[in-house]
Amino acid sequence: MTPVHFSFSSAFILGLMGLAFHRTHLLSALLCLEGMMLSLFIALSLWSLQLEATGYSAAPMLLLAFSACEASAGLALLVATARTHGTDRLQNLNLLQC
Amino acid sequence: MNPYVLAILIASLGMGTTITFASSHWLLAWMGLEINTLAIIPLMSKQHHPRAVEATTKYFLTQATAAAMILFASTTNAWVTGTWNIAQLSDPTAVALISIALALKMGLAPAHFWLPEVLQGLDLTTGLILSTWQKLAPFALIIQISPNMHPAILTALGLCSTLVGGWGGLNQTQLRKILAYSSIAHLGWMIIVLQFAPQLTLLTLATYIVMTSAAFLTLKASSSTKINTLATAWTKAPSLAALATLSLLSLGGLPPLTGFMPKWLILQELTKQSLPLTATIMALSALLSLYFYLRLCYAMALTIAPNVNNSSAPWQLLSTQSTLPLALTTVAALALLPATPAVLAMLT
Repeated sequence: MTPVHFSFSSAFILGLMGLAFHRTHLLSALLCLEGMMLSLFIALSLWSLQLEATGYSAAPMLLLAFSACEASAGLALLVATARTHGTDRLQNLNLLQC
Repeated sequence: MNPYVLAILIASLGMGTTITFASSHWLLAWMGLEINTLAIIPLMSKQHHPRAVEATTKYFLTQATAAAMILFASTTNAWVTGTWNIAQLSDPTAVALISIALALKMGLAPAHFWLPEVLQGLDLTTGLILSTWQKLAPFALIIQISPNMHPAILTALGLCSTLVGGWGGLNQTQLRKILAYSSIAHLGWMIIVLQFAPQLTLLTLATYIVMTSAAFLTLKASSSTKINTLATAWTKAPSLAALATLSLLSLGGLPPLTGFMPKWLILQELTKQSLPLTATIMALSALLSLYFYLRLCYAMALTIAPNVNNSSAPWQLLSTQSTLPLALTTVAALALLPATPAVLAMLT
């Protein structure tokens, strides 16, 4: 495992841990998702740089475009949750529990 | 919803799955999954009800996490082996991560907690899309990587799914939650046979889609979401209530109906692979599922409420639902068992 591989893997796993274990606010969950996507962006850019695969240099941009769409959908849902539940705390999303 | 917007959303929903089907590159497969998720989100939250919004938020968070994990695992695989090809996923860490991510994406048992809650928050049409069409793209991926997956992970996921699907549905009174647990149990059957005969996985998926479409369309036609309303469903369409009983038993897997076909073939395959213990556990866990299907049948066909009939008939508007899909899926859910050899020959 190269240092680069280790650094983006640990960044991704930290983001995933934050998403899985720090469940207070929806906004922090969205930020963790965004952090995961950014670590993947770095991973893809460095992969195409390291292997000098110029054909793949568009891949990080595509990833960034999709993660921007995903983040905007998440923010729209944040607004919708704030309007229906009055808050963005994940504890309040309890209408559907068994 | 504006028909133009609806058309765009439905088209992207189809396009996402098609892209995932057609791709041999992990990035493209991930894009298809993302398009799929982003396209169904407005459909799920179009009634701005708190339950719908909550279900959409939960769905979004799980699907986004699973998609990010899939891309992370394939990037890891690319860093280690240098290839992005879906069929050549060989790094063990990447394979294990992708197994977990796909299990989360389609709601296999240890990662199934989102599925009943999300399905409960949706209307029946979107729930139908969620439990049929949205399963196709993850299955296209998991079937492609199945030769490299660890058999123990697959067996554990499959057994856990059928057992959890059976146990979880026992205490539910909400029909959509029951259907969600039935979906979890069927997914377990599909996964358990994946390592031995992927064509049986496809067959189980196809029959499950047909049967669950029949169930959802029937519930939509009688506009019932609770067991209570099922008890008066016969006043709306008596023949439909009788047939719905049969299609529920078909979901449970009783012999003369379609639902018996996948269970029969899978149990036969497991026995042929000399795994009698796994086969026994699977067969017994089907009994758990059968219990709650039977309870629905009891409420639907064998109960008459203890009051005068004309007062128990619920208020209803004239339905504008097209009955052709309902008729087709119900017939297919009831009568495909004699066609087993033809279906098998088509898939192998």
